[in-house]
Amino acid sequence: MITELFDRRLLVVAGKGGVGKTTIACALALEAARVGKRTVVAEVDGSGRAAALLGAEPLAIGESRELRPNLHVLAVDGKASLQEYLGMIIPIKRLLDAVFTSRIYNYFVAAAPGLKELMTIGKIWYEAERVDDTSGERRWDLVILDAPATGHSVQYLRMPQAAHDAFGAGLVARESQRVVDLLTDPQRTAINLVTTAEEMPVNETIEMHRQLCDELHLPPGFLFLNRLHRVEFERADVERVEAGLASIRQREDRALLQEVLRRAREELGWSEINASYRRRLQNEIAMPLVEIPHLFAEEFGVDQVRQIAGCMAREPMSLGARKGGA
Amino acid sequence: MKKLDAILEQHQVIVCAGSGGVGKTTTAAAIALYGAQRGARTVVLTIDPARRLADALGLHGAGREMGGDERAIPLQGTGSLTALMLDQKGAWDALVDRHAPSPEVRDRILANRFYQHLSQSFAGSQEYMAIEQLCELHDSGRYDLIVVDTPPTQHALDFLEAPQRIADFLDKNVVKWFVKPYFSAGWATLRFFNRTVGVVFRKLEEATGVAALAEVSDFFASMGGLFEGFEVRVRRVYRLLRARQTAFVLIASPEEQVLREAEYFCGMVAELRMSLRAVVFNRVHTEYTGRLRGVNRERIEALLTRAGGQTAVAALADNFLRFEEEARGDMVRMESFRRQLGKTVAVAQVPNFDADLHDMQGLAQMHRYLFAGAA
Repeated sequence: MITELFDRRLLVVAGKGGVGKTTIACALALEAARVGKRTVVAEVDGSGRAAALLGAEPLAIGESRELRPNLHVLAVDGKASLQEYLGMIIPIKRLLDAVFTSRIYNYFVAAAPGLKELMTIGKIWYEAERVDDTSGERRWDLVILDAPATGHSVQYLRMPQAAHDAFGAGLVARESQRVVDLLTDPQRTAINLVTTAEEMPVNETIEMHRQLCDELHLPPGFLFLNRLHRVEFERADVERVEAGLASIRQREDRALLQEVLRRAREELGWSEINASYRRRLQNEIAMPLVEIPHLFAEEFGVDQVRQIAGCMAREPMSLGARKGGA
Repeated sequence: MKKLDAILEQHQVIVCAGSGGVGKTTTAAAIALYGAQRGARTVVLTIDPARRLADALGLHGAGREMGGDERAIPLQGTGSLTALMLDQKGAWDALVDRHAPSPEVRDRILANRFYQHLSQSFAGSQEYMAIEQLCELHDSGRYDLIVVDTPPTQHALDFLEAPQRIADFLDKNVVKWFVKPYFSAGWATLRFFNRTVGVVFRKLEEATGVAALAEVSDFFASMGGLFEGFEVRVRRVYRLLRARQTAFVLIASPEEQVLREAEYFCGMVAELRMSLRAVVFNRVHTEYTGRLRGVNRERIEALLTRAGGQTAVAALADNFLRFEEEARGDMVRMESFRRQLGKTVAVAQVPNFDADLHDMQGLAQMHRYLFAGAA
């Protein structure tokens, strides 16, 4: 069941641009909040997508907002996180202000390789492990990261290990190690991939799975197969009606029927493409699949996200039941 | 509806822009193929085509790398089609190679960590290089038509802002500061003015462990005069993007998020005094019953039964009605987007085909939706 995921602290949702990562991240968050987990969706790089999809106004950089009970959205930004972090280690405000406004500081932030990524993922770690000062309780039960598109995601997730390897024994190396520990711990973290069952997204997903799970040893969660077309009729049904088309004499009727058949063939075409790429994914990626149907809708909004959350809740797949495999 | 025919006739450079996942690469390839079939010596500068499309465009083996062989795909008639793949790293290396005063300096730059960061992952770097290569192709005079596919950024705008961002980054005043004999001179100055600020920077360097500023300094010192001329290069780049012979084509899909982004992009193109000449909507569902009265489930099911349908009559009707619903949404969103476009902007709608388009035949299939001359 999908609820197995909710015992973790960090769910990363990654995939190619345009496949519906944000939708899946938001649906997971709705479902987690519904079952009582205090959940926060983290969006990075000022994408603003998660807030928009959940029907909220865009967040300011670094802002966190409660959208409904148990559900927050948080805009994470590398530079803002670095300032927050420096504020913790150097608690002299006037001094920090002088630094932050200086040109060389801004240059340093832009120029230091991977610093922005490191700070972003560090902030995610901080939120996942954050404990409330007064109550002593964890701030969140679950952090869901709506990761940026493929290449960028890999850069983010690779950064802590790279920083640890590069910096030897310093402060950053120690902090990086804690982030790496979280990211690689299957008890606390799951990397979820989202794709549609089409050529380009599937190629990219297979490559990303190799990089994240095989090379970086990050623990796999679910593979969400989004926007699946699944027909409830067969080609033979379509062909039978096609054969009888000539018997419809009235022009308007015949035109309408032709259109109905065209749509049927279109749907058959997509569902065949989907089925073949689904097989390819199952052969190449050892992750349990969650199938999310293509939703036909006039507008895609929070109702659709809720509907997808409902699909997730009904999925019988289990993380223990590994399908496929190389 | 005006299609893209006139744009091909009147422009030498066509830049296909848009947010990720909307079919930019495929559309750029389709436009290039059409131009070539109409007799133009055409080149398409592409970023990351699907393997089958790459094969179709002859992008495997030697031709795959920039600066490698350019192999034209043979076509009937006078036109030709050459596809080039953008290799960001290779393009930066070529730039260094061309401008480095000696092989030793070149090697030192190539090994510099800051250089590697800049050439591989500095935001806007890939976009900038795409435009650099566009300029080179343009200056070569070998092509009548150059079609550019833009990198798969989340935001279409990144492409337009990249040259300026790189220019700001390589700003000569900042660069001068870094190029001072030892960049400790810079430190010293800083410490002189504000002891504590200097301390923080050193702490920052210690903490991150990256001798980032030292690497930066070394990089700029090695690069010598190259970046002196950078402003000029960037101005030239913007000049070409603004030129009369350059047309922007925005690739979009009828999804809400994509259109919101597209709207912003259109505004920015205008602000930058560039010329948006066309919008291509991919994967459009067109509404049918909007044109007919009295189409409902009963009538469709009755028709299906009359034509001999037995099983799945309800499912077939359902399928049609769901497509109609989606199409209605697509139409409404596209219409409200189109209303904001100027009259001079052509609009083409490419339907949601029932197959992935990844070969020459697939590209040709798009032509009749993009060009009136192909209908």
